[in-house]
Amino acid sequence: MKLLTHNLLSSHVRGVGPRGFPLRLQATEVRVIPVEFNPDFVARMIPKVEWAALLEAADHLRLAEVPKGPIQGYEQDETFLRKMHHVLLEVEVVEGTLQCPESGRVFPITRGIPNMLLNEEETET
Amino acid sequence: MQNLGSTANMSDVQEATNQLLHVNLHENQRDTHVTESVPRSESEHLRVTIGATVPTGFEQAAADEVREKLKSSCKISKDRGKIYFDISVESLAQVHLLRSVDNLFVVVQELKDYQFKETKEKVLKDFEELAGKLPWSDPLKVWKINTSFKKKKTKRKKLNQNLSKEKIDNGRDKREERDVKKELSNNSLDSHILDYYEKPAIKEEISTLVGDVLASCKNETEESLKEDTDPEVLKFRVTCNRAGEKHCFSSNEAARDFGGAVQDHFKWKADMTNFDVEVLLNIHDNEVIVGIALTEESLHRRNITHFGPTTLRSTLAYGMLRLCSPQPSDIIVDPMCGTGAIPIEGATEWSNCFHIAGDNNPLAVNRAANNISSLLTRSQIKEGKLSWGLPIDAIQWDICNLPLRTGSVDIIVTDMPFGKRMGSKKRNWNLYPACLWEMGRICKPGTGRAALLTQDKKCFTKALSGMEHVWRKVHTVWVNIGGLHAAVYLLNRTPLAFVHPSGQDKEELLSAKND
Repeated sequence: MKLLTHNLLSSHVRGVGPRGFPLRLQATEVRVIPVEFNPDFVARMIPKVEWAALLEAADHLRLAEVPKGPIQGYEQDETFLRKMHHVLLEVEVVEGTLQCPESGRVFPITRGIPNMLLNEEETET
Repeated sequence: MQNLGSTANMSDVQEATNQLLHVNLHENQRDTHVTESVPRSESEHLRVTIGATVPTGFEQAAADEVREKLKSSCKISKDRGKIYFDISVESLAQVHLLRSVDNLFVVVQELKDYQFKETKEKVLKDFEELAGKLPWSDPLKVWKINTSFKKKKTKRKKLNQNLSKEKIDNGRDKREERDVKKELSNNSLDSHILDYYEKPAIKEEISTLVGDVLASCKNETEESLKEDTDPEVLKFRVTCNRAGEKHCFSSNEAARDFGGAVQDHFKWKADMTNFDVEVLLNIHDNEVIVGIALTEESLHRRNITHFGPTTLRSTLAYGMLRLCSPQPSDIIVDPMCGTGAIPIEGATEWSNCFHIAGDNNPLAVNRAANNISSLLTRSQIKEGKLSWGLPIDAIQWDICNLPLRTGSVDIIVTDMPFGKRMGSKKRNWNLYPACLWEMGRICKPGTGRAALLTQDKKCFTKALSGMEHVWRKVHTVWVNIGGLHAAVYLLNRTPLAFVHPSGQDKEELLSAKND
């Protein structure tokens, strides 16, 4: 699971709503897999990123060199864009957990795949 | 939209093409003078018409792709699901890289306004005489060049199947030293990736796509030419497709008699199953097109190495994605991905977007993950980037309760349960409204859109009718899925922001839609 995906995930436990974001990330196995750098993609993605959530996740993974926010003229700043590219797309959580901040419910990540299925009682309907 | 790897592929195959232009053609044509060698300059400027079969309903999407990638304009046939375009022979490799086409053939001759005689005997006699009058020479040259591509592909595929199954060690590789192959055998990270997803929850044989792609982009030199035993006598068959109400003959009869004349003309051997040349006789009302097939098995299974019970053709997946006009950095989600056909096609063709494949079935998600891990772009292989990743992730989730932020997704493309092959029609009455609801929630208001494939058109239309405040239908494409008449609905997300109802409200709203 990449950090860009984590940035989109939110807990859907009954009654939690928007308070289910962001999921608390813990990892026991992480790997770095290079991905083709596309500066245009990264630049356009920056405004869509939820920064606090990203920084929190990156912190839990103990990643270094993570920009704290968009800098002035980031669209042309290759160094900045490459760092963001790395954080968003190249760091993969292989084994770990995602925890709902509101309900405490834990979702496992196994072989890179988060299992977000809920039990009958936990779902909204 | 990025066109990955095609330039890399082109130069490799260009070399092969150039070499083959010097190879003799072993034909025994009664009328045509057999040339000893093909002058290079003449063949390089050879232009031919290529016919392509595409999923019906997506002819325009295919024509757009051809214009984009081959810079050729297309003629869309009245015979549904076919497009035609002209290329120079050098572009043949690129034609094989088209994502929207199922099968390819080179046109021998197009006969518009064919005058069918009144009796069956006369019609069939005409077909017999036609065989000898057709301009076979250039199309056969194209067929020849094309066959060499395929031969390399099959051999490579077999070799790489073995490579991936066994433990990869250094000394094994007996072939000539090439950087890319070396990388494949030496790259422990790569074999780790293959192993990584290999633990069978599913006990399936793994044949990776890596071999396939390696084959299609690598340049074979001495090896294939040595083994290219070019028999004097080719084996062939004729396939006739006939559509129209005024014909007094059957496709079998036409194939048989036309085939007989082709056999006499070339002295080829007829073989229905193990043929070298497949001659196509396509008859649609008054239009007769004679062609030579360039593809055997359809291109549409290319991405999927691990099949599920209802795996979608990747040409159809491509068409559906294209329908949504993905923009750079769009988030594209398939919330019922099955084996991942759609997101995988997406990650290959639109690598400047981010793709998420989700399903509730653990087998499906694992298969999707396996298919993802097998997937490498041609440029990655060419440049030795065998252990690189793509902008795609897989998640196990429930479509009725998606763990995604409200309004965070730009595009949703999915193959909804048909009821006939997976799920049940009764279930769809509850499922469809719930799906549209959740998809409406996660989709970005105003700019978001969805392309949804379903055979249960009635159920879908009803479910949609209660959701006008969220979804607006803008286009419908009628398609044929393994004989079932289905539809792809293109929906736009309205600008209305989604408001979170309480649990009770949602239940009431959803059950109200079922009445």
